[in-house]
Amino acid sequence: MDQTNTTGAGQRQDRRPAETNSPDDEDVSRIAYRVYQDPAIYAAELDRIFYGPTWNYIGLAAEVPEVGDWRRNMIGEREVLLVRKSEGEFSVLPNVCAHRGAQICQALRGNAETAFMCPYHQWTYDFEGKLIGVPFRRGVKGKGGMPTDFEPSNYDLQALKVAELNGVVFASYHPDPPALDDYLGADMKRMFTRVFDGRKLRIVGKHRQTIDCNWKLQMENLKDPYHAGLLHLFLVTFGLFRLDQKSESFIGVHGGSAALVSRRSPPDEHTGNEEIASYAPDYTLEDPTLLQPVMEYDDDVTLAIQTIFPNIIIQAQSNTLATRHVIPKGVGSHELVWTFFGYEDDDEEMQKRRLRQANLMGPAGYVTLDDAEALEFSQRGVDCAPPEAVATLVLGGRDFESTDHMVTEAPIRGFHRQYRDAMAKDIINAG
Amino acid sequence: MPAEPQFPNVIADGDHDEAVRQVERLQLDYVHRIDDGPLATWPDLFTDICLYRVTSRENWEAGHDLGVIRGESIGMLRDRVTATQNAAVYAPRTIRHILSGTLVDRIDQAGIHCRTNVAIYQTSADGDTLLLMAAVYHDIVIEDGGTPKFREKNLVYDTLRLPDSVICPL
Repeated sequence: MDQTNTTGAGQRQDRRPAETNSPDDEDVSRIAYRVYQDPAIYAAELDRIFYGPTWNYIGLAAEVPEVGDWRRNMIGEREVLLVRKSEGEFSVLPNVCAHRGAQICQALRGNAETAFMCPYHQWTYDFEGKLIGVPFRRGVKGKGGMPTDFEPSNYDLQALKVAELNGVVFASYHPDPPALDDYLGADMKRMFTRVFDGRKLRIVGKHRQTIDCNWKLQMENLKDPYHAGLLHLFLVTFGLFRLDQKSESFIGVHGGSAALVSRRSPPDEHTGNEEIASYAPDYTLEDPTLLQPVMEYDDDVTLAIQTIFPNIIIQAQSNTLATRHVIPKGVGSHELVWTFFGYEDDDEEMQKRRLRQANLMGPAGYVTLDDAEALEFSQRGVDCAPPEAVATLVLGGRDFESTDHMVTEAPIRGFHRQYRDAMAKDIINAG
Repeated sequence: MPAEPQFPNVIADGDHDEAVRQVERLQLDYVHRIDDGPLATWPDLFTDICLYRVTSRENWEAGHDLGVIRGESIGMLRDRVTATQNAAVYAPRTIRHILSGTLVDRIDQAGIHCRTNVAIYQTSADGDTLLLMAAVYHDIVIEDGGTPKFREKNLVYDTLRLPDSVICPL
């Protein structure tokens, strides 16, 4: 292998010995640590994944209920506005004025009434990004102003492509992204529409947290059932997740989207927890109202975690429903934005149930606190590891097929399949 | 389920200065039970039926009830302590609350409605200190069994993105 490969955006010298230079591109059971370490790879991810032919989650329709409502959000490191431009249509616009690049909206959310106006020189845009106002375009008393060849339509905000499915809005920087249905595939669309079934959503609230690890580690964690029955003593103790439950691991057509599903099974079918050192059968809740879930869909699923490439997680754990948006913040950090929701037709008891069960999730969650901590342990370890180090992910084999169990790391392998396909091979596998 | 306290006796029959003194003592007691321990005694400062919530200003202002932590009874708060001490995995760290004085907004049948600003710092096992949040407690204090207790405690943080996890009640 060429040890001085400097092709692509990376322009970095690879000093690794040939035999551990990088995993074979076809072997997704071996992941080079440098995909979590290297700023050049991160820069390429922004271009080729986040600003490339992917669909990026941008928010829920219920978060912008009125025409003119907008919210700021991020795609990669670029700031955008989700706008309800009409009763049933949305636009996604760069939050950057076409004049001099000033940020147009500063608040987290608002209503634009009739138009967006940049505060700096009051250039004004309609809800689709069309430039509709330029102060002093024709000068003052015939003096100054824009040149006669100034064409406002050259300065529209470059609206992103938008796709909406049952109240969830996605956007793409790519001029010709794949159809959302094809991007998801049939299995992933079925899981997606299990939760987003077309009913109107009720926003329950948001959490935002910075977690100091690479964005991919966060995504991988939600594709990793191996840890769930081991790290999360709370889940194990209360039987909320067990590797010996009836379960499935679905992997989408391109590998990078997946769903982990646990189903209700009779207690006498439980085996296998003997190997879990932290299992604590004596631990009970003083106030059990925290954990009184009801089955609310027409199936026997108790836990469904879906991940859609590149960076959105849909959580349906008992009655706590949320999207988790993973926003990259440099190679070693990301922001995690949780949007908890229910349905407009939730009765009062269901609303309370969702609020109580939210104790399991978020920055102080009985479950997810462990995740955020473990993910930071991962990044610290990776950062300290020698550059030739490689992670091994062979639980359940080396492929990324769907399975009728969860004793597998296949969804992580599938993620790296789509990831490597999306990235130029000369960046990931220099050599 | 414990009975809700009937008609809460308002401290010192509406005496504002005495109310401030008692509430400030309660706040100090509260934060030291978290910062210096024992955390197991932290729930004792709440009434049996209570509302304890840690939430962002973003949720608070939007009228969203979601909390990072939500407790609706002293039992739920004890469960939070048990989970913190026995069922959670996290790197060791210390917490330090820096309180302002307390502003009593009003005293009515529901109790003493008051606000206390707070900065909460966290120090990691490596010794690095970070400001976890700039926040305000919106509380309702009542007299319960002869002592002031929190009927409601809402920790509302201005910090939009928490810079780290919340490993214990705050």
